[in-house]
Amino acid sequence: MISFIVRRLISMIPVLIGITLITFILINVVPGDPVVNMMGKRVDAQTIANIRHQLGLDRPLYIQYLDFLFKAVRGDLGRSFYNHQDVMKTILQRFPTTVKLSLSSMAVAIVIGITVGIVSSVKQYTFVDYSSMIIALMGISAPVFWVAIILQLIFGLKLKWFPISGYSGIQSMVLPAIALGTRFAATIARMTRSSMLEVIRQDFIRTARAKGLSERVVIYKHALKNAMIPVITIIGLQIGGLLTGSILTETVFSIPGLGRLSIEAINNRDFPVIQGTVLFTALIFVFTNLIVDISYSFLDPRIRYDGGES
Amino acid sequence: MRFKKLLSVLMIMLVIISLAGCGGQKSSQNQEQGQSSDTKHGGTLQDALGSDPPGLDVQQNSMLETYYMARLLFSTLVRYKGSTTELEPELLAEMPTVSSDGLTYHFKLKPDLKFSDGTPLTSKDVKFTFERMLKPETKAINQWVFEPIKGAKAMEDGKATELAGFKVINDREFEITLESPYAPFIQNLAVPCASIYPAEATQKAGEEWTLNPIGSGPYKIAEWVHDDHITLERNPYYFEKGLPYIDKINMRIIEDEATMTMEFENGNIDILAIPDSEYPRLSSDPNFKKMIVENTPLNTYFYVMNENVKYFQDIRVRKATALAIDKNKILKELLNNRGIVAKGLLGPGIPGYNENNPGFPYDPEQAKKLLAEAGYPNGFEVENWQAKNETFYKRNVAIQAMLKQVGIDMKIVQMDSASWRQSRNNGKVPIYLANWWADIPDPDNYMYNILHSSQTPLWSLNYKNPKVDELIEKARVSTDMNERIKMYQEAEKIAIYDDVSIIPLFHIKEYYIVQPYVKNVQFHPTGIGSYNYRTMWLEKK
Repeated sequence: MISFIVRRLISMIPVLIGITLITFILINVVPGDPVVNMMGKRVDAQTIANIRHQLGLDRPLYIQYLDFLFKAVRGDLGRSFYNHQDVMKTILQRFPTTVKLSLSSMAVAIVIGITVGIVSSVKQYTFVDYSSMIIALMGISAPVFWVAIILQLIFGLKLKWFPISGYSGIQSMVLPAIALGTRFAATIARMTRSSMLEVIRQDFIRTARAKGLSERVVIYKHALKNAMIPVITIIGLQIGGLLTGSILTETVFSIPGLGRLSIEAINNRDFPVIQGTVLFTALIFVFTNLIVDISYSFLDPRIRYDGGES
Repeated sequence: MRFKKLLSVLMIMLVIISLAGCGGQKSSQNQEQGQSSDTKHGGTLQDALGSDPPGLDVQQNSMLETYYMARLLFSTLVRYKGSTTELEPELLAEMPTVSSDGLTYHFKLKPDLKFSDGTPLTSKDVKFTFERMLKPETKAINQWVFEPIKGAKAMEDGKATELAGFKVINDREFEITLESPYAPFIQNLAVPCASIYPAEATQKAGEEWTLNPIGSGPYKIAEWVHDDHITLERNPYYFEKGLPYIDKINMRIIEDEATMTMEFENGNIDILAIPDSEYPRLSSDPNFKKMIVENTPLNTYFYVMNENVKYFQDIRVRKATALAIDKNKILKELLNNRGIVAKGLLGPGIPGYNENNPGFPYDPEQAKKLLAEAGYPNGFEVENWQAKNETFYKRNVAIQAMLKQVGIDMKIVQMDSASWRQSRNNGKVPIYLANWWADIPDPDNYMYNILHSSQTPLWSLNYKNPKVDELIEKARVSTDMNERIKMYQEAEKIAIYDDVSIIPLFHIKEYYIVQPYVKNVQFHPTGIGSYNYRTMWLEKK
């Protein structure tokens, strides 16, 4: 197991270098100059040249990239072109908020998704199954911002149960968590259902039932555990997506998270912040996938990473 | 006995009624006058910004949010009187005196001025502020306000470390000499980016200055949680005794317009610039209708036709485009009559505004004729490049339909704002909807920045007329306002009516919605940094 983790950690290095290089090329290829953007309606060639020089943007591109890379290795992601804040510090300030939002929405998604998935599979081809799957389909299809506005209107404006926007305690996280979690709940529900249906038809489940085990034990102890492998994969992939894909939810609910930081940086062509958030996000993705892979071995004893049978 | 009792009851009732009557009258009088002895101190104003300011150093950026905050945190040497375009001293004890040649200005600061950290504000701080803006290492972008000063160019080029035209006489007095006469110079000093910084604190803060600046404005920063809120509290050293009335301002950062409006409806925000998409609903709701306040800021919306694009090199095509757009219809249908049709670049409130300008009537038949004469009887295709913006998109779609009727097939290409700005500045945008919100209420601010040939490539306008340039250059150095107005009006006539360089569309009004307990809401004339927070008060809370 340890050698597997070490191998995976080493393989991350070229991945991360590749990501930073692609990001660097993209931000320099895409039209939109940070200094021109900074200047707004007034433009003056001399001022632009001066600021570009002060920011080091007039250096050759490969020097700019290597400078970024060497500093990044030492944990220095530079300073924002706009507010001169330390990028690493800014990311670390925003990250806990995004983590809270992602985990709470994932909790919503897991509780709803797995419950609905199990019920649908157990009650296959019944009204409950059909209606759950129709609702799940609607959940997958509904855009996050639309769900968010509907929740704000009903539970914020009309019923006044939860704050409409802002980030102030657990109560303010309820609507964003539901808005962001709805789509994933639907995905998890569909995945759980199909995976459960596949497992339920296997011989060992028949054996379990033949042994006289109660249906509850058969479903929750034998079937569910085995059906969880693809579901865990989906959850793992989606945690990464949630951490980075919460931009719309953060914008609609005015939550100061990583998503908003990165989109503002892209709009403003704030290169150090773009590079920093992309690198940080890539790290999160890579580590999440590693954790998911490790979790397989706990869920399925047949999966071993240390030269054993897999 | 019974009669006496009845009489006393009647007397009491009469007294109560008359007292109530007096109270009512007083209340309505107060509302009319705005400010009165009923002003109250205290409370927290809940306000919102559409995005987190990208720093609060007004020398380094001119984003709306930064300017907005600057009005709260800093002071300028002069300012606008209430909502008018008339200047009055702010940090100055009196308006500056000007030498007869229009070159040298003498300034005197108010006594005992202090920054919000309690340190005194002196002439040296003013000099430091001016020089900081002009030093290349500041990475400033708003040098234009101090550029007319003698020696400014040398500082910008890194050839001088001191501003030759700035002479400190003593702690309260200083003199500024210009390179050549520049009529709107004093107006430049009222712009938020001309805010005065404390020399010592600014230098000490270094790169962090933009995150936690110190000023001499009515408020100071208590807390800034990026992308969430900025809390401001009264500056105890503010030089206007008794002001501001409101103790705290909680400025929330809410990007989504719909969310912001819902927060207002729930009473969590006290004042809000009504988003375009929400105006029809709020203005037709009997509850909200009475909370709406109108402001007429100084702006002009116009269409730019790039004269480097072959079609627009022909004046007949430019004129045909102007005649094909039904400005009244757009104003009525899309803007709900929130504004007036523009007949020139200069709008109402700007000296030189000419209400007798004929305007471009809606005349599609004449437009078709002109296109045919120009060799395009079947019209042509052109791309409209625009930064992504819902409001602008809708207006462009309306114009697209109008142009289509005369044969001009305008394809709308939406871009992200950074890409669009670069394309515009490189002179590449073929046709687009532009706007100018005045920094200062002076015609030079419009005419030089938009129609002078040194500026037109940056607008993708690429218009050049030496006569127009000459008039604008002469007008900006003249100190005779009447003479200046004549020159600007002549330049405007040539550029817009003889050359059809741009198509003036409209001057729009802004609408705000204000909770009834927020009193004495006044706006800055330029619309930048909108409210006069220092004179606003809360009736409750």
